Amino acid sequence: MEFDNDNYSSHISQQFNDELEQIRTHLLTMGGVVERQVHDAIESLLIGDAELAEQSRRVDKQINDMELMIDEQCTTIIARRQPAASDLRLIISVSKAVSDLERMGDEAAKICRHAIELVEEGDSPRGYQEVRHIGTLVRDMVKNVLTAFARNDTELAYRVAKQDKSVDQEYRTAMRSLVTYMMEDPRAISSVLNVIWVLRSLERIGDHARNMAEHLIYLVSGTDVRHQSLKQIKKAVQDDIEKR
Amino acid sequence: MMNTEAKTHSIDIASMQRDNRTLDLANEEHTLKVNNLKLYYGDNEALHGIDMVIPKNRVTAFIGPSGCGKSTLLRCFNRMNDLVDGCRIEGEILLDEKNIYDRAVEVAELRRRVGMVFQKPNPFPKTIYENVAYGLRIQGINKKRVLDETVEWALKSAALWDEVKDRLHESALGMSGGQQQRLVIARTIAVKPEVLLLDEPASALDPISTLKIEELIHELKNDFTIAIVTHNMQQAARVSDYTAFMYMGDLIEFGVTDTLFTNPSQKQTEDYITGRYG
Repeated sequence: MEFDNDNYSSHISQQFNDELEQIRTHLLTMGGVVERQVHDAIESLLIGDAELAEQSRRVDKQINDMELMIDEQCTTIIARRQPAASDLRLIISVSKAVSDLERMGDEAAKICRHAIELVEEGDSPRGYQEVRHIGTLVRDMVKNVLTAFARNDTELAYRVAKQDKSVDQEYRTAMRSLVTYMMEDPRAISSVLNVIWVLRSLERIGDHARNMAEHLIYLVSGTDVRHQSLKQIKKAVQDDIEKR
Repeated sequence: MMNTEAKTHSIDIASMQRDNRTLDLANEEHTLKVNNLKLYYGDNEALHGIDMVIPKNRVTAFIGPSGCGKSTLLRCFNRMNDLVDGCRIEGEILLDEKNIYDRAVEVAELRRRVGMVFQKPNPFPKTIYENVAYGLRIQGINKKRVLDETVEWALKSAALWDEVKDRLHESALGMSGGQQQRLVIARTIAVKPEVLLLDEPASALDPISTLKIEELIHELKNDFTIAIVTHNMQQAARVSDYTAFMYMGDLIEFGVTDTLFTNPSQKQTEDYITGRYG
């Protein structure tokens, strides 16, 4: 089945077009806010800017409100329009994607709190390099998954799922070296623990980005690829592209 | 994919699966089989070679825009089109492997086996009882005990018995539209057909009566094979196991209702069910 990018503008009901376009736009707007928040959270930690961290932490409230609003719009569309096929999949995917975005926001807020604590402790502990490295990977994932949603690009969504695997690997490696460091220098345990929580949050953000990528693949192809291996996801994406 | 074998903490995951997930046309018994059916009104070809099956004890819904041929096709199943001037048919429709357009087929008997209910309820100007007993009387059955039993069974099957049991000998024309439509269904099933054809059976009814008809369809599929034409897509989605989408005399897509309404394979189907420009 062909899946046009401007698919949402061809309903007989202009109002329905507007409603679908609107929840898509709102999702992308919310995505933009979360992307920015993740970026600021990592930056504030790396440059030790408590003010930026505090500012970014407070964005969380805004993100929560957006989640509620978009979900309400989805519910209303289901009740009033009884959407089918790709329209229905859009509503379901958007509703799930906003939950993932909201959770990303929560994780970013956690990073901000740890950043503030680390600034207060005042030393520059080990592990920042890992944060920088994994942070860059995760930010790229968030950016890519939002682009994928904007363009209905399933191949890019598959790349996000693939990136998640390398984030998981990097995370395990970082964990090993930080544990070694704590054993070598027990005085650093409390600050290194903070860094570990930050890495944990980054890894979770990566997981949520992968979830969103899976929702997008479901939206475009109609195949539910959750809990499947990368190989299976790749096959689903390729099958769908061949079908079009 | 859900592992249907898996049991965790003695929770049977398989029992959570909807029955419809196991639906597959390949596993169905076929009541009707349509082979390259073409229908002409004069020179105008209204059906362009339809191939499909109507699976036994399932509800098959026909959807599509006005004039797509869905009612025409439904009428072919009990040769209602024979009555239309200039109507000509090529191809075949098999009921239990026998072509219903064969010369040897007696149309009255065919219509007993394949009953039909129309958009507007059309009870006869007789009592409720006589309406339901009508088909049996035509067959020459006049034994009161048999008639009583069959009328009661048919009215119960049509979920109407409790509402009318105390006024069986009053005129059917005094009933509400929804009741009349269920009476017509009772009259149709009283002669124990194999197939029930429903042409927009609820489109003239209010929402509550509509839901009662839909519930009835769900009950009746245990005993009958049902084919329904409806303009109401949500109704097709609610009541049917299989859905056929027709467009301009062609069968565009035919498959499991759940799949057709969540992930149709044809763009035309997608456009129609989501309300887009065709």
